[in-house]
Amino acid sequence: MAGVTGNEGRVIETGGLTMRFGSVEALTALDIGVGEGVTGLVGANGAGKSTLIKILLGLLEPTSGTASVLGHDIATESAEIRRLVGYMPEHDCLPPDVSASDFVVHMGRMSGLPATVARERAADILRHVGLDEERYRQMGGYSTGMKQRAKLAQALVHDPRLVFLDEPTNGLDPAARVDMLHLVQRIGRDFGIAVLVTSHLLGELEKVSDHVIVLDGGRLLRSSATADFTQHTGGLLVEVLGGDTERDVLGEALAKAGLTCRPRGALVAVDPPPPGLSREGAVHDLVRDTTADLGLALVRIQPDQAHLEDVFLTEEAARV
Amino acid sequence: MSDRSGVIHDIGYRGYDGPREGTRSLVLSLYVTGLRHAFGLGRSGRSKVLPFLLLGLGTLPAVIVVGVVTFINFGSLPVSYAAYLSQIQMLVTLFAAAQAPVLVSRDLRHRSIVLYLARPLSPALFAVTRWASLASAILLFTVLPTLVLYVGGLLAGLDFGDETPIFLRSLALQVVLAAVLAGITGLISAWALRRGFAVVASIVVLIVVAGVVRIIQEICSYEDISTVGELAGLFSPWTLHNGLAVAWDAGGRAVVELHDAWPVVYLATALVVWAACVALLVRRFVKVGSR
Repeated sequence: MAGVTGNEGRVIETGGLTMRFGSVEALTALDIGVGEGVTGLVGANGAGKSTLIKILLGLLEPTSGTASVLGHDIATESAEIRRLVGYMPEHDCLPPDVSASDFVVHMGRMSGLPATVARERAADILRHVGLDEERYRQMGGYSTGMKQRAKLAQALVHDPRLVFLDEPTNGLDPAARVDMLHLVQRIGRDFGIAVLVTSHLLGELEKVSDHVIVLDGGRLLRSSATADFTQHTGGLLVEVLGGDTERDVLGEALAKAGLTCRPRGALVAVDPPPPGLSREGAVHDLVRDTTADLGLALVRIQPDQAHLEDVFLTEEAARV
Repeated sequence: MSDRSGVIHDIGYRGYDGPREGTRSLVLSLYVTGLRHAFGLGRSGRSKVLPFLLLGLGTLPAVIVVGVVTFINFGSLPVSYAAYLSQIQMLVTLFAAAQAPVLVSRDLRHRSIVLYLARPLSPALFAVTRWASLASAILLFTVLPTLVLYVGGLLAGLDFGDETPIFLRSLALQVVLAAVLAGITGLISAWALRRGFAVVASIVVLIVVAGVVRIIQEICSYEDISTVGELAGLFSPWTLHNGLAVAWDAGGRAVVELHDAWPVVYLATALVVWAACVALLVRRFVKVGSR
């Protein structure tokens, strides 16, 4: 788990990082820390995610503030940083007239791998990302999914210690999206490479990241372990056999008994109980008894989990 | 075909703890790849046709000249080194114009520049290496026929002591010429990202302007107003080369002969144009890379 405290294990650290393009402020006094494992960087389009990555890579110079990547200062040691990190950009960046195999070997060489090592690692990594038979074909004919895999391969070929993945699931169909997210998770957990992955889809990152940083309009909205975002809210979800009628009957009965509830899909969502019912198991008993009294068939009672989206909405509302 | 064409095999990930190469090896690797690409090597079969066709056309007359010298026992080459290059200037220019986009536009147009700039080489070093690959390719293109003339001439019995200094001076001028041509065509390719535009723009700048300069020089020579002719010569790399070749006896022919300090002005102009082109090329790469 990446709920890192102190400087140890921090792969990225920024202090008061600010980036201004003319009168537009893309990043405002950003203080974040990123640990090992998979870290999700979430925000709407234009929230400053790509700008942050480009600053960390040394492609853009920040207006003010400091940052370090893997212990190296971005202002003075950006060449050293670029030796140790991999980068998968959001946009298309593959020349169409070369095969993925040749291109990934060349990119490995450009990161300092000796020729034979570059060839071996390119073959290995292309297999890992799932480009097997296609790798000898020119990349111009690739589908979006294959291009994303080739882009990922070039970011990993030199065995970086940290990899920046900018919207890796962009343009993928649902199945390919699941594959890609699984791969991202493996990079962080099995390959032992720290990952900073961006997405504008919050739900996506909830599944794969250990830690989530939420940016909004260039400001840090929240940074904490994914488990904190998705912790148990204290509420319950109740399901009974039948359709909407049965669901509503139960909901009304529970409301009469003093609980706040609302329908959510086919389930009844019960808010955290009032003080009178806060005894451990009191709500469970009440739900069981109520269902039995109504003659309904209880399917399940489960703790209600928050989703990243909920947190985002709550914090957004609190700020306004 | 669906996106889900590949299966992710779990074969276990292997890291790499071995040695990594330093900046010098990276530059060398990029330079060699670029030089090969300029001649279509390591690219599709079709992309080899144009560079090698032009190279063949550029070298064939040199072989014929050597044959003539062998049979007719000239005391010197009928067309010496710099003059020969001036004769094939169209081919050299076409080669530079056609191959510059391969080395420069490709990275920018397909945005692969971002992947290079996210790696250890600095943008400046990257741009300079690209330029160096192109300049070397152009130099190879001009050296081959002059080398045929030189070696063939010596084998045909020309005097080693006479020919060698002329040949070496011509080589030095070819380095300057290749540097300037690579700078100009590289810069044009960095702005005109479509290959067709880049080729046409390069040809306009190098061939049409050279033609205009030549006409002005002819008129000046006829009217005997040398200063205007000397001044006009500054506007094309070819007249710069030809002017210097005559002034320094590198086996050249020029319409206007350079007097007084003009050779120095010519050389200085070539260096300034070269430096400006490379500096602008670097700036362009940095700008596109940060987008």
